[in-house]
Amino acid sequence: MRELNLLTDFSQKAGIAIDPKDIKIDDTTLRDGEQTAGVVFANDEKIHIAKMLDKVGVHQIEAGIPAMGGDEKEAIKKIASLDLNCSVLAWNRPVKTDVQASIECGVDAVALSISSSDIHIEHKLRKSREWVLETMKSGVDFAKSHNLYVSVNAEDASRSDMEFLLQFARTARDAGADRLRYCDTLGILDPFETFFRVKNIIDIIGIDMEMHTHNDFGMAIANAIAGIKAGATYVNTTINGLGERAGNAAFEELVMALKFVEGVDLGINTGFFRNLSEYVARASNRVLPTWKPIVGGKLFVYEDENKVKGILADPATYELFKETDVGLERQYVPGKYSGIQSITQKLRTLGKEIDERHAGELAEIIRKKTVSSKRSLFDSEILDTYKEYMGSSKKEKAGKGKDK
Amino acid sequence: MARQKKDRKINIIDTTLRNGEKTAGVVFSKHEKIRIAKMLDEIGIPEIEVGTPALGDTETDMMAAVLRSGLNARLYAYCDAEVDSIETAARIGMKNIIINISTSDIHIKKIYKQNHTWLVNRLREAMRAANKLGLEFIISAEDATRTDLEFLLKLVTLSKKKGAKRFRICDTVSKFDPFRTFMNISTIKNAIDFPLEVYNHNDFGMATANGMAAIRGGAESIVVSVGGLGESTGNAALEEIVMALRYLENIELGIETAKFREIAEYVAKASARAVPIWKAIVGTNVFAHESGIHADGVIKNPKNYEVFNPAEVGLTRQLVVGKHSGSHTILHKFKEYDIDLTDKEANDILALTRAMSVDLKRPLFDKELMYIYREYRSGSGKEAVIQEVKS
Repeated sequence: MRELNLLTDFSQKAGIAIDPKDIKIDDTTLRDGEQTAGVVFANDEKIHIAKMLDKVGVHQIEAGIPAMGGDEKEAIKKIASLDLNCSVLAWNRPVKTDVQASIECGVDAVALSISSSDIHIEHKLRKSREWVLETMKSGVDFAKSHNLYVSVNAEDASRSDMEFLLQFARTARDAGADRLRYCDTLGILDPFETFFRVKNIIDIIGIDMEMHTHNDFGMAIANAIAGIKAGATYVNTTINGLGERAGNAAFEELVMALKFVEGVDLGINTGFFRNLSEYVARASNRVLPTWKPIVGGKLFVYEDENKVKGILADPATYELFKETDVGLERQYVPGKYSGIQSITQKLRTLGKEIDERHAGELAEIIRKKTVSSKRSLFDSEILDTYKEYMGSSKKEKAGKGKDK
Repeated sequence: MARQKKDRKINIIDTTLRNGEKTAGVVFSKHEKIRIAKMLDEIGIPEIEVGTPALGDTETDMMAAVLRSGLNARLYAYCDAEVDSIETAARIGMKNIIINISTSDIHIKKIYKQNHTWLVNRLREAMRAANKLGLEFIISAEDATRTDLEFLLKLVTLSKKKGAKRFRICDTVSKFDPFRTFMNISTIKNAIDFPLEVYNHNDFGMATANGMAAIRGGAESIVVSVGGLGESTGNAALEEIVMALRYLENIELGIETAKFREIAEYVAKASARAVPIWKAIVGTNVFAHESGIHADGVIKNPKNYEVFNPAEVGLTRQLVVGKHSGSHTILHKFKEYDIDLTDKEANDILALTRAMSVDLKRPLFDKELMYIYREYRSGSGKEAVIQEVKS
């Protein structure tokens, strides 16, 4: 029955176009991204990342945790003073001293985070549900008395009892919180469950909602999109999906999925994505996988003959967006799966022309060489192979001529 | 979460050796192909795609070698809808094949430069050849998610009539999100009673979610690869699908998941692509905790931040000491070395640790932590050590 209702809800919702103006990105590369085990940004890097995010057009930056003091606080203070177009938000526990530290940094928004699941309340906080509500409420009261934009973060929301979560959301709303962040802290939801739960809170409580999803089961992006379909208006992302454990919803994947799968264009400058991803990869000391969705270095590299044929006929046969849309380049790499078209195209880029029969024979030679070297060949190897082959093929011709 | 029937049977077909190897720049040796097939077989993967006969002798030799290695898994050859390559598959002894054909108008027009009638005939011919050779076959519709639904249904009906085992829906360009996948699969299932299989790409990071949505929509089988290895952004990852089925849908496939890390590492070496430390399910960072809140939570009870035990996928838990650590982590870490710190000592050492971690731009090794402790205790006093860290 619930499955049926969910479908009906979804079908109705799916028919309604999402207004891009309603969706806002709150990027947390500098907070949850840096919180990843092993990742430390230098303050200069944080400031640079903040400037880049602002430049591509994110709506809010979660800049860090002022209560940590020291360098962290300095970086947040600096970012808040940059006069960016976007809002600058700081992460807090819902306690006065934390919020006070945020105020000292000059941010315009705060996130007040507290766990709402019984498992966290019992085993981590070692407190009661009542304590959680009171603590959260007094945090919101204090922050609102300083005219801050307040996001209340329900940590581990996805393992929280729904009745209590509704009470939590109601308490936040009544205390004057501006939005509720739904944290799938352990990444245990699927898109259907996400849709159902988020919709439930929005329908009953009527508060702005933000999605904070994790990728533990590979569903961070799908769950964030499910939340948006259910009516959430903010999404918490990180560049490259940097974040605790398997990471968060990747900024670049979410923006492109919204644009090309859902038809919702947020107006973000995506042409800068590769640069942004490379910078964060370096700063976080993590190599960007060549197959990383949206920004991986080999996404527009073609080896398979059928694909090459298709791409040459019309890139739309295999691509939903252009390589330049994300700052990448298209390449043809002949290898084990290549044939006439791939070889011809590659040689053309190297300034050589070849006819179909010769290309077919050369493709066979190149396939064998690729298998024996267990990798793609370098351009220079392909050129050498080409020259060698053309040389012997001429000799063969000449030889045949003599016989006649 | 768990609303699926517990006894629901889902088939897994692994394509690491076929579409995984098709990834630009990835080439497996014969030895590696056999090893990977054996590893998959050992953990209980029921079906494996071993290669593409049309690629020639080198490939068919390898496929024949895998075939001879005595596996329990059902082995598949991947053929385009061409009689030649289907005959090659039969000649090397393959009993099961996948017959692939692009079904979207854009592919038919731009790649085949043909029309629907031509395509239907080509498919008929391929199925006739397979039937004549006594092969079991799956029909794979490439770019199915951009295919006219009515035409697709016609092809499913035809495949069913001609004795296909399953029909594969390929989301070749990652066109769908999980909701549309669900609707699409349920629609086809409602129209025609025939087993469906899904093949997803990860172009927008949704391969696993789409695979799970298809299963929810009624698909019986799903194509996966180790670590998601595959063309471009890759496919749905074996380890993610199996664990998501187990923990999000309560469907147990009986696969020996404790070997997941080992297999991921082997395929990573063979494909010359390191497993990212943050790779879902099998990355080494998945069970590493640094931030004060998370580490403290895990120390109190792993359930606070872990859905399953790391040993279940062949990993181990790590507490990383660095910029985001809290005093509980310090207390716990020193306890591992039989050193009981007072709260004051823990807080002092924490301040030193954070300063050093920011300075080095990385977390600290246990040994570095011990140096900090020794210097702190050696009477030089807190200030002196802080001075040293800062200098």
